[in-house]
Amino acid sequence: MNNVVSRFAYRLLLRLHPAPFQHEFGAEMLWIFDEEHQRGASSYLLFDGMLSLLRQRCRMPRTSGLLSIRSGEIISTPGVGPLRLLQAGVTSFAILFSIMLLSSRSSPLMVSIRWSEQTPCYTITLQSSTHMAEIRKTMP
Amino acid sequence: MASDPTRNSPLSPATLHILLALARGNLHGYGIIQEVARNTDGRYRLGPGTLYDNLKKLMDTGLVADAPKSSSSKRKSAAAKEDDRRFYTLTKEGRAALTVEVDRLQSVVTQARLRLQEARSGRA
Repeated sequence: MNNVVSRFAYRLLLRLHPAPFQHEFGAEMLWIFDEEHQRGASSYLLFDGMLSLLRQRCRMPRTSGLLSIRSGEIISTPGVGPLRLLQAGVTSFAILFSIMLLSSRSSPLMVSIRWSEQTPCYTITLQSSTHMAEIRKTMP
Repeated sequence: MASDPTRNSPLSPATLHILLALARGNLHGYGIIQEVARNTDGRYRLGPGTLYDNLKKLMDTGLVADAPKSSSSKRKSAAAKEDDRRFYTLTKEGRAALTVEVDRLQSVVTQARLRLQEARSGRA
């Protein structure tokens, strides 16, 4: 039952990705989820999927004045800017993180933020005992 | 897309590990994850989200490309399904960027060793 729920949650996360990314990599990501899920890493995979969703949504170009209600697309109007998307992302991120912390019996997740002045860019790294995910953002 | 190979330097850890994994040969997504885990003795394990986000960026910048399907993919075997997967290959530009990054890391290690040696001899 737990397998079914986490697979459903992961598929839902994939559906929320921007359509081009979803079409290009969605099937492969689900395949990897199925393979890795057998190793008991589903909570990490869900978290990684959430980070991926945030990255892809924040990177998505704005489509001004166009109401786009396609499969897996967030409505994009002039009133729904990157800040709003970020806000929504952070909220859902916090909710998912709380659920994971409450449900996780394995080792806790470590979050670190590194700033590099040379590039300049910042890297947010999320690490559990077996997995690692990161967001790297270069400042303009 | 001929460009300056230092343009992408420094590479993020995930990018570096993906390029290193592909330096040994063409791999599909899960193959890259497994290769990275093998190369790091399981200390660094990429999630599919991180992998494909980085792969997309690498493909957009021309460092990684889709690998051409091998003629052996027509064979009917247990590996036939695996052959249907999308394989990725390191491009010439990708190899050049990896070489530049490895050289950069080499110089960092050399500098670090020198500094540590100086600090040690200063204390003695």
